[in-house]
Amino acid sequence: MYKSWWKILGAILVIYSTVFGFLSSVPALPILHESIRNLYFHVPMWFSMIVLFSVSVFHSIKYLSTNNEVHDMKAVQSVNAGIVFGLLGIVTGAIWAKFTWGQAWSFDVKQNFAAIALLLYFAYLVLRNAIDEEQKRAKIAAIYNIFAFPMMVVLLFVLPRLSDSLHPGNGGNPGFNSYDLDRHMRMVFYPACLGWILIGYWIYTILFRVSSLEKNKIV
Amino acid sequence: MQLIKEVKYLIGKELLLEWRSKYALNGVVLYVVSTIFVCFLSFVSLRGITWNALFWIIMLFASINAVSKSFLQESKGRQLYIYTIASPLALIISKTIYNILLMLLLTLIALGFYTLVFDYVPEDMGLYLVAVILGSLSFSTIFTMISAIASKAGNGGMLMAILSFPVIIPVITVLIKLSKNAIDGLDRSVSLDEIGILLIINVLVAVFSLMLFPYLWRD
Amino acid sequence: MKKLITTVLMLMVVMQLFAQDQGSSVVNTLAGSEKIYVVVVCVAVILLGLLFFLFSIDRRLKKLEKKS
Repeated sequence: MYKSWWKILGAILVIYSTVFGFLSSVPALPILHESIRNLYFHVPMWFSMIVLFSVSVFHSIKYLSTNNEVHDMKAVQSVNAGIVFGLLGIVTGAIWAKFTWGQAWSFDVKQNFAAIALLLYFAYLVLRNAIDEEQKRAKIAAIYNIFAFPMMVVLLFVLPRLSDSLHPGNGGNPGFNSYDLDRHMRMVFYPACLGWILIGYWIYTILFRVSSLEKNKIV
Repeated sequence: MQLIKEVKYLIGKELLLEWRSKYALNGVVLYVVSTIFVCFLSFVSLRGITWNALFWIIMLFASINAVSKSFLQESKGRQLYIYTIASPLALIISKTIYNILLMLLLTLIALGFYTLVFDYVPEDMGLYLVAVILGSLSFSTIFTMISAIASKAGNGGMLMAILSFPVIIPVITVLIKLSKNAIDGLDRSVSLDEIGILLIINVLVAVFSLMLFPYLWRD
Repeated sequence: MKKLITTVLMLMVVMQLFAQDQGSSVVNTLAGSEKIYVVVVCVAVILLGLLFFLFSIDRRLKKLEKKS
């Protein structure tokens, strides 16, 4: 029980953020209106994805230094969990954009780059499928994962700041701090992010446990 | 010092091999020239953004073809031979430098022919040249490492494209932006951001390749 | 599995048709009333995605149980 405190914490935070995401007061905004509440659901998806991908890179590095195949499995499973969150983030983002700006896929830098970041990890999975030999697969996939990660960081954090975007904090749009995140929203937004990250981590551990069981059964 | 000697020797070997067969350079130059000619026949006249985009698309595919040869072409026996005489660091450095030279030559030929055929010169040719040189630099550093990964994975060309596109797209977006500034003849101080980012990406990629390649190389 | 996928695909196609027929009214409902329904749809999508994921894990576990 004492080891699963973070799962309970994650569940409580997510429930809290969902309930108060709908009930708490939000500033009156011109185009967004109430849909600004999506901030509590759409944005945490991306944070969880990034955390899960970072976990995967961490385990890839560990694999290269120890050659222990457990780390390889952890790296794959966290990529799998991260991709689920990334897809959810893209779908919710597209819906949000459709009803606020009238176009599901407007030429938004962050949206495009997020899609490319997902492609990067699909390529990672394809690479894994292309190699049969297990140790070789683990090693090469780990190398590609580490090599691609700085590119993803550049893609998601550096480039969007250079151009205009519908997302806050880019180009002409003011950042989170100035207009849409007042004190009430922060009280919900930060717990929501933390909660979803914990849930994502939980999903990853479950995936890892299932796949290690599968592996033991086959051997 | 041993490293520099090995690098020099390996670059000499590459150049000698290339000089004897002239296969890579001739093949790729022919590829670029014929692609440009086909584009000319279908577009007849091009200006501005389309001219720029088409140039980078042609360069992208040409450089994938040119650089992917560097590792995919090597036979098993030759790889074993290099393995015994040189350190992996020397190998990746020499391959990267050789590819940079090849790409520089190739892009300059391509740019010359391209401007000649379409009879269009960007407003700020100097800045455009800088963009082209930075582009060939980043193409060669990124593709060298990816081709090493793809060649180790076994099945060459297909995997090379899948793995390299998500990694190269951020670079291409920055390059297109930079070269568009050059075409519009904007003040050069506007483009400093992009040049900085390209340099940072190059340094990142170089550092990561140097760190990761030894793991990839030893079997 | 194949059947399931085709069913889902067909459903999606049908949804498209529906959306074309009454697209404007759906858009109006969602965009109206201060756009709160956009949030509802997004939450529903997240829930559906996670539930679908849960099902896939469940299937894998079932296979494991059969083997042991």
